[in-house]
Amino acid sequence: MNKVLRNKRAIFIFTAPAAAMFLAIMLIPIVCAIALAFCDWNSIGMPRFIGAGNFVEMFTKDKTMGIAVRNSLFIVVFSLVTQQTAGLLIAAALSARGTRLRNFFKNIYYMPCVISSSALALLFSFLFNPNMGINALLRIFGIEGPLWLMDVSWKIPLGLWAIGFVATWQYTGSSMMLYMAAIAGIPDTYYDAAEIDGAGRVQSFFLITLPLVKPMAKISITMSCIGSLKFFDLIYNMTKGGPSHQTEVMASHLYNSAFGNMRFGYASAISITIMVMCVAVSALVNVLIKVEDR
Amino acid sequence: MKKRQLHFGRTVKYLLLTILVLIYIIPLLWVIFVSLKTNGEVMAQPWSLPKTLHFENYASAWVAGGIGRATLNSAIVCTITLVVSILLGSMAAFSISVMRWKHSGKVLSMFLFGMMVPVHCILIPLFVFFVKLRLTDSYLGMILPYTAFALPMTIYLMGGFFTGIPWEVYEAACIDGCSVYRLFWEIAFPLARDGIFVVSLMTFVGNWNELLVAMVFTSSPSVQTIPVRLTAFVSPYATDYVRMFAAIVLAMLPTIVVYSAFSNKIVAGLTAGAVKG
Repeated sequence: MNKVLRNKRAIFIFTAPAAAMFLAIMLIPIVCAIALAFCDWNSIGMPRFIGAGNFVEMFTKDKTMGIAVRNSLFIVVFSLVTQQTAGLLIAAALSARGTRLRNFFKNIYYMPCVISSSALALLFSFLFNPNMGINALLRIFGIEGPLWLMDVSWKIPLGLWAIGFVATWQYTGSSMMLYMAAIAGIPDTYYDAAEIDGAGRVQSFFLITLPLVKPMAKISITMSCIGSLKFFDLIYNMTKGGPSHQTEVMASHLYNSAFGNMRFGYASAISITIMVMCVAVSALVNVLIKVEDR
Repeated sequence: MKKRQLHFGRTVKYLLLTILVLIYIIPLLWVIFVSLKTNGEVMAQPWSLPKTLHFENYASAWVAGGIGRATLNSAIVCTITLVVSILLGSMAAFSISVMRWKHSGKVLSMFLFGMMVPVHCILIPLFVFFVKLRLTDSYLGMILPYTAFALPMTIYLMGGFFTGIPWEVYEAACIDGCSVYRLFWEIAFPLARDGIFVVSLMTFVGNWNELLVAMVFTSSPSVQTIPVRLTAFVSPYATDYVRMFAAIVLAMLPTIVVYSAFSNKIVAGLTAGAVKG
């Protein structure tokens, strides 16, 4: 038994292809990106080392980066609040004993998660088009709707709220699914005991469900935050960061810097910033939400 | 009194759930309705039902809009990625989680580190390499990064499924003189088919919808995948609305069909996957 499982040659044959692929496509490029982040390079000629210049520019001079960071953080917070609350409430409602059509509701709510974000973004950009979608519907009732994606009168542009709504619309189902899995793991007897002790449904929710889904909340919140920091498809297909960069997020700014302005060094610095923020957010969630070992 | 309250609460609950269903269904129905109209109808009454069904919009989007070609490209890229990543990932997962060697833990953490890396970080260096290697604008240029990014999750989940197989099964096979290759290929791999199904779906759906990598690495319609083709083809400022809407429907359809066919299994599987991840 042990002899078979300690076969060194087999271990090498099994592990080497994946490891080689991972090394070539993931690890080496990351090292290159980190190196590039400290260089000035327009993709022609040799990269020129400029120390922390890119990062200094990013946080002091580049106004668009300031907007992009603000908008990315807005998406993080907006998604966090809406998706987690809605996801948990729907999960609790559907998990209640005797809920009819549970699978029907669940399958409908989860469906957008498997649809391409690009297609959904384009669909919603038509819905938010000042002439066609929601506004045409409002006009039937005599209401003149706002410019939606083009509106920049608010501090956080209305377009970003609209995009946040689309993100929530698409991904609430995945939070719901995680919470439903967590709630399914809570023994029925807990709820029975609470009922005998005279607890109502609301009380059971706050005193039993909420504390016991905490480990899952951690996973769900981490996934949501990282997804929001990487946010690109919806922005690119709904506003392209416009009007005048007001709805830019970090990923779209990276894309424009690299493949619009050919500033590969600067764009690498943005990409490293995104990675650091992802790691920091995961660590933060880990610290803030304490899960007792059960 | 209590009973009436309960009844009221239940009505409100189903009412809210139904409203939510409408919020999910109406945009999807709207895009289908618009895709079957004429451009004149769309401008005049975007919310009315189509008077006659213009299925030729779909033919136009499929052929002239290039959605047909893009669907084929997506199918090729996603299928090859799927097969390669499942194969390489399962092999690595088997050696890491079942076989006995000193550095297996370190190798596993190396792969798991990949889960934390946003694809944005490797985009620029990889683009530079691929331009030099002439891999841009090719299927391989997408398959390589997709596979590399699928590996961490595949290895993690498949490792879980391999260790979930009762140890006695491995033992019995070894006593019967089974080689380690056959142990993997004829025993562990087939027994982990539930896991393979889940991981396959996650990989396939993820790559089918992926935009950023595909957009950076391709420029000609002959290799572009659906999200890229759609992004290039549909623009809110263009005027051939019905064709764009037909294209959007065609882009959404494949994953919706797959989802409807396996919905319960997918939902169970994706949850299992997410819980482990």
